Amino acid sequence: MYLKAMGAAAMVSAMFVLAMAGVRRGSATWLNSACVLGMGLGLAFGYYVLSLRLAWPPVNGLDRFLTIVVPAALGIELIAGFQCVPRWVAWMLRMSLAATIPRILLHGSVYLSGSGNDWNLWQAGTALAVCGALLAGLWGLLSWLSQRSPGVSIPLALYLSAQCAGLTVMMAGYIKGGAAAFPLAATLVATTIAARQITKRSGAPAILGIGVVGLFSLLFIGRFFGRLSTGCALAMLLAPLLCWTTETPLLRHRKPWLVGSLRLVLVAIPLVVVLAVAKRDFDRDMAPLLGEVQPSAFRLHRKG
Amino acid sequence: MRRFFSVWALTLVIGTVVWAGGKSVSAADEYAYDLVHSSVSFKARHLDISWIHGRFNEVEGKFSIDREHPAKSTFELTIKTDSVDTANEARDEHLRQPDYFDTKQFPTIEFKSTKTKTIEGGFEVLGDFTMHGTTKKITLVLMGGKEHDFKGTKRVAFSTELSLKRSDFGFDKKAIGPIGDEALILIDCEGVRK
Repeated sequence: MYLKAMGAAAMVSAMFVLAMAGVRRGSATWLNSACVLGMGLGLAFGYYVLSLRLAWPPVNGLDRFLTIVVPAALGIELIAGFQCVPRWVAWMLRMSLAATIPRILLHGSVYLSGSGNDWNLWQAGTALAVCGALLAGLWGLLSWLSQRSPGVSIPLALYLSAQCAGLTVMMAGYIKGGAAAFPLAATLVATTIAARQITKRSGAPAILGIGVVGLFSLLFIGRFFGRLSTGCALAMLLAPLLCWTTETPLLRHRKPWLVGSLRLVLVAIPLVVVLAVAKRDFDRDMAPLLGEVQPSAFRLHRKG
Repeated sequence: MRRFFSVWALTLVIGTVVWAGGKSVSAADEYAYDLVHSSVSFKARHLDISWIHGRFNEVEGKFSIDREHPAKSTFELTIKTDSVDTANEARDEHLRQPDYFDTKQFPTIEFKSTKTKTIEGGFEVLGDFTMHGTTKKITLVLMGGKEHDFKGTKRVAFSTELSLKRSDFGFDKKAIGPIGDEALILIDCEGVRK
């Protein structure tokens, strides 16, 4: 089913981008809009296959991701892609979204209600600010790198992280939350490749923006509502920043394919480690629940 | 003038007596949920061949029993979902996740009565049952209610069982998997008079 959802999401987004962008080649605004709408459609189809429905009012973190965060990210990237919109306005919109996403996702939860042994007001404010700053920083740094040294490797690095996030969140026991990452990963890779086919460029900033927001949100939900550890979540979130390594003087002027491959290999290393840790924890904690027989404290003794 | 003061003084005295009397002669007895002598447990089918048992270790509640006007009796119960205990820590952690109880989003399961009537051997209580962010009207048949004086403390106890479909309360049908949709909840609660 997960492969089916990924296939549907990838197929729909790629076909849409190829069809739309093929109509007006060379227009950056048109390509950006095609990518935004293609990703939106791809995600809608992927989530439909996974039976993840839009619920209103949204009652949990995943509902709020699907009904508020994803449409908001798509809307902002659509607006930001128009030439008439000043760059500072586009970035102000992006940073506003980055600042509010943690608050949106934690709405109504024990973290903000002040009940139980969870956060007090000061702790909640600090955590929201740190998480917002983390998202804004990641978004800004990847966009900067994308302008400085463009290439498909950056959205592909986000794809690797999103795919790894889905598997890790699932192995930590939150199946629905992990599954939500697969259509995102599929649309990321399909839109990037389709845009590349049309323009021979690395695609549109929208792909990066939606990818970063999606990755952050799913890891955030996995961390605060599921059992994903802070270390694993941070490793997966920050792994795409390893693409910056190729900006060192030694590597910067190498051939583009070499730089791109190196970026992906560097990003993949921490992700493989995270997956190995997640698999070990899964085998230890979850496998017995799925039918593996555990030895009993009481042994049967046979006579003779 | 003297007559005016007499009437005023009489009104004040009668008013004070009525107010004080109204407070002290309340027919309803208030009880607090006694966690030590109570339990909220549940069981659900596994693969439709056996039962998995569990309990909630942290429960709060109060009830007010009006012996003269039983319809005025009220019952409230709050269960902390984080305290789920099925004698397997890994499974408990799994049950706390968003695919099941989603304890960070829905930290409690609550019941609050809205209508009470007496039946033979107890009460039939209609109320709002909130679980996983969904509130539904349910009827609890509370059996018991006899008061017992133990070392100077008055106690009363009730027992009830109810069957719920988890899918009715917004639990993900796909995550229900090998654990049956229907869960049987057993509540045995003892109240200590305040």
